[in-house]
Amino acid sequence: MKPSRIAAAGSVLLLALTAACSAGSGTSDGTSTTGAGGTTDTKLTVGLVAEPVSLDFTTKDGAAIPQALLDNVYETLVKVDQSGELQPGLAAAWRVSDDKKTYTFDLVQGATFTNGTPFTAKDAAFSINRVKSDWTVSLKAAMDVVAEAKALSDTQLEVTLTKPSNNWLYKMSTRVGAMMTEQGVAGLADKPVGTGPYVFSQWRRGDSISFTANPDYWGDKPFFQDVTLKYFKDPSALNNALLTGTIDVIGTVQAPESLQQFEGNDKYAITEGTTNGEVLLSFNNGKAPMNDVKVRQAVRHAIDHQALLDTCWAGRGTLIGSMVPPTDPWYEDLTGLYPYDLEKAKALVQETGVGSTALRLRLPSLPYATSCGQVVKSQLEQAGFTVTLDQLEFPAVWLSTVFTDADYDMSIVAHVEPRDLATVFGNPEYYTRYDSKQLQADLAAADAGTPDEQVDLMKKAARELSQDAAGDFLFLLPNLMVAEKGITGLPKNAITESFRLSDLSRG
Amino acid sequence: MSAQPAGPIDPTRVAGQPRVRRRPGPSLVVGGSIVAAVVLMALLSFVWTPHDPTLVNAAARLRDVGDPEHWLGTDKFGRDVLSQVLVGARTTLFVGVVAVGVAGLLGVPLGVVAAMAPRWVGETLMRAMDLLLAFPALLLAIMFSAVYGGSTLVAMIAIGIATVPSFARIVRSGALQVLSTEYVLAARAAGRRSWGIGLRHVLPNVSSLVIVQASVAFAIAVLAEAALSFLGYGTPPPTPSWGRMLQESQELLFSAPRLAFVPGLAIAVAVLGFNLLGDGLRDRYDPRLEDRR
Amino acid sequence: MLLHLVRRTAILVASLAVSSVVVFGFMVLLPGDPARVALGVNASEEAVGRLRAEFGLDRPLVEQYASWVSGLLRFDLGRSYVSQVEIAPQILHRLQVTLWLVVCAMLVALVIAVPMGTLMAVRHRRPSGFLLSALSQVGVAVPAFLAGILLITVFAVRLGWLPANGWTPPNEDPAQFLRQLVLPVLSLGLVQGAVLTRYVRSSVLDVQREDYIRTARAKGLGPFRALWRHGFRNAAVPVVTVLALQLSTLLIGAVVVERVFVIPGLGSLLLDQVSNRDLVFVQDIVMLLVVAVLLVNFLVDVLYVVIDPRLRAGHS
Repeated sequence: MKPSRIAAAGSVLLLALTAACSAGSGTSDGTSTTGAGGTTDTKLTVGLVAEPVSLDFTTKDGAAIPQALLDNVYETLVKVDQSGELQPGLAAAWRVSDDKKTYTFDLVQGATFTNGTPFTAKDAAFSINRVKSDWTVSLKAAMDVVAEAKALSDTQLEVTLTKPSNNWLYKMSTRVGAMMTEQGVAGLADKPVGTGPYVFSQWRRGDSISFTANPDYWGDKPFFQDVTLKYFKDPSALNNALLTGTIDVIGTVQAPESLQQFEGNDKYAITEGTTNGEVLLSFNNGKAPMNDVKVRQAVRHAIDHQALLDTCWAGRGTLIGSMVPPTDPWYEDLTGLYPYDLEKAKALVQETGVGSTALRLRLPSLPYATSCGQVVKSQLEQAGFTVTLDQLEFPAVWLSTVFTDADYDMSIVAHVEPRDLATVFGNPEYYTRYDSKQLQADLAAADAGTPDEQVDLMKKAARELSQDAAGDFLFLLPNLMVAEKGITGLPKNAITESFRLSDLSRG
Repeated sequence: MSAQPAGPIDPTRVAGQPRVRRRPGPSLVVGGSIVAAVVLMALLSFVWTPHDPTLVNAAARLRDVGDPEHWLGTDKFGRDVLSQVLVGARTTLFVGVVAVGVAGLLGVPLGVVAAMAPRWVGETLMRAMDLLLAFPALLLAIMFSAVYGGSTLVAMIAIGIATVPSFARIVRSGALQVLSTEYVLAARAAGRRSWGIGLRHVLPNVSSLVIVQASVAFAIAVLAEAALSFLGYGTPPPTPSWGRMLQESQELLFSAPRLAFVPGLAIAVAVLGFNLLGDGLRDRYDPRLEDRR
Repeated sequence: MLLHLVRRTAILVASLAVSSVVVFGFMVLLPGDPARVALGVNASEEAVGRLRAEFGLDRPLVEQYASWVSGLLRFDLGRSYVSQVEIAPQILHRLQVTLWLVVCAMLVALVIAVPMGTLMAVRHRRPSGFLLSALSQVGVAVPAFLAGILLITVFAVRLGWLPANGWTPPNEDPAQFLRQLVLPVLSLGLVQGAVLTRYVRSSVLDVQREDYIRTARAKGLGPFRALWRHGFRNAAVPVVTVLALQLSTLLIGAVVVERVFVIPGLGSLLLDQVSNRDLVFVQDIVMLLVVAVLLVNFLVDVLYVVIDPRLRAGHS
């Protein structure tokens, strides 16, 4: 046998292998049902980035669990709409007593849990009380203000608070307000049972979670019958999956530069809006040198926010001057408080003599942090700062070093929980170590006051915070989604903890 | 990434033989030139780069190749790619030197000792090497990074440790070969002490094996750094590294494929260079090949 | 030969014992509190403390080690800290995914390496041999994930022939399974093939110089025929060794390609659990890998004696 023939045989074999495997290219990629207007595909696959570690958000933290389950499997008494207003959910209506301490909810009729038991006020009381007794995540603190939750009848629930709290009702729209059944709590980690439009069907660990439409749903039936949430570690892989039809929707774009390839392409539609994710350049306010307000001010003046946003997040996102996203009622544009002013920053660095101390910018190993951290370092150094950049493994090392021990000078983290100003800056024990009595008093008064007082006081708090340079608010993460053309109902603003699947359809 | 050397070395035939001087083959010339070029780039970067490689410049982002100010263009941060490639050469050499250094400093003495010590010591050492081989390089690097924090140094020490067995094995069998030659037997008979024999006769005679193995291990380390950077365990920012440049270019693969092409090519060429150098050195030192030229 | 087997077995057992201590030691050194990681940013201190106790992290190290090893000996890998599910089925499931990938890739590698390597060896003095050799050097120099990215860009995104990524179990949709397997297998197989080619080349070169081949050539047999008749078994010995070693390193080494192609394999599982600080889970995976490599070494060792008659007669 001639050598050239061996080589030829080898390449033929390779080709054959490739060909054999690609022979199936023509097969259809899903079951279709025939609707009134012809063939309508009621299967949907959504690509997301972070897979939950468990399905139990009562004991495990992480935004991925409520993202998958809330509003889809579990429902809440009240819901937040696109403009940040509370709307009826499992409660059709509610009344607040004059002393603002007693809430009476009228529950919807006909809602049932997916295990068949009807949803009653008893279940609602059980769910609320269980937060205090059994939950282990610190979010449960939102229910500390509850004195008692009891069922007045099958459809009437009464909740008494120990003191007036505006935040409480709002928090009832988040995961702590999820309505569960006593029979379902045994399977929280792998068989969630709720009243929602979808039933959990399968979790392929390391790959995807799938749901089927709940045939007995009390509200409007969802369009998509089978929905899969598929998880991708790598943002580029997520893009490729949409480009090649493996998924129908990119639920969150984590590589904004890559959006270019979808722009101007008729096959895809891009949704762009806001989120609750403030990317915070956090300062360790409790320790030198960051406990010096002049140093913090120098940092804020040294950062060219527009340039930062352009380089590290492709110019997508919103510049905010404080810890409030535009969808909150007390939002004000505070970007003018600390404009980019290199000369002023240099002067402040000179004055404080901070330039000779190396500031430790300790970043979690997350794409946005790594990306923005390099820009922040470069910009600060131009103002005369010395910055060392440490990348800490997230979550393990970052959590213990920065979050628990506060062994850092600056860090960059996106705080994604809704209305988290009070969490991040209202508690001196929190890793920002920000201790302002004035701010704490204002926050408490805002919570207890009338809705109008709340708005005014929160505005004041946000301004104080920004003026005191308690942190630098780099930008607000944009809500970026890409979907195949024709998929409707994607939320413009991602301002809830959930990824609401029942709003979606193919039109 | 995988931990195999790019070509096997059969040391039993080389050690102890007199070295033959020959005209260098094409592999040696090409490999040597590439390696020299990488070294020159790294040295140059200490005295001159066109721009500050880590300077972020929003106004100059994503310039194309051939830009008058930025010959190889800029990345999404507006950083000069050419400057990064030059400084990245330093990282590449650092990576290789650390990994090969660790592997050689541990592996060579272990190999010599295993050959010269009593049989049971040698056997035990070699079994320990087998055990170490059971921990793949990538696994060790990930575990080390998790334990000691992700840095180039830590990752490369891990890669180096994973490469110790290959050095120890080659040196041991080379040394055994030397020890059975007549002049060593004569030295023994003359009452020379064993460490003297080790230094005078064994080490010089296995050095060619070590050099060949080192160039192969160098190539593996460079590939490992790239793979680790891709997984987020490699060189942390902002130190320029070819592996991280490649990883950062991912999201721009469609709009600016050049950003992946440049570091990808740099890695491939550098690895090719070290492998060819290894091949060339082997050809030069390995008397087996004599009859083929 | 029996003595050889007994000795090897003893070494295997000792190695396993030592490595279990090493693996456990690594876990002790890992920074970060598993309980804190499991509970996340919003955890209260008392909850973290309670979970530590639940994980058994407050017990003495010796006790933790003993309970882990005694579990292993009973094939009980325990439960995950984080998700509370049984570990063994998950590892098996992921291992199966990775095995598909790795075994197919090694087959591709063999299909490339054996003919190419042989050809390179036989033609090593001619330009064609040199050209092939250079080609294999280039193959060795390309990182597997770069090959994967290139393949995706060309065949999935630009040409649209194959899916860019994803994994479908073979029993669910065999066609889709195969389509998704092609690119990852190629990107792993091509690079490994280039590596293997160089081993095949040099081992064929060695065999070619053996007297029995020279004799056969002198009798008038062509170079390939002589090799085929007389040299294959001998040339196969080092190649099989390398193949076995590649296979076992690839169980983790494939993780980079798994990441590029979004394949839920063993390596990805390991990375996830390291990041979750699911210590027992990580211990189990690493130990499993070590056991796999040691077993493979052991088997290759035994196989050596079977393949190579010279080793059978001589040695030990």
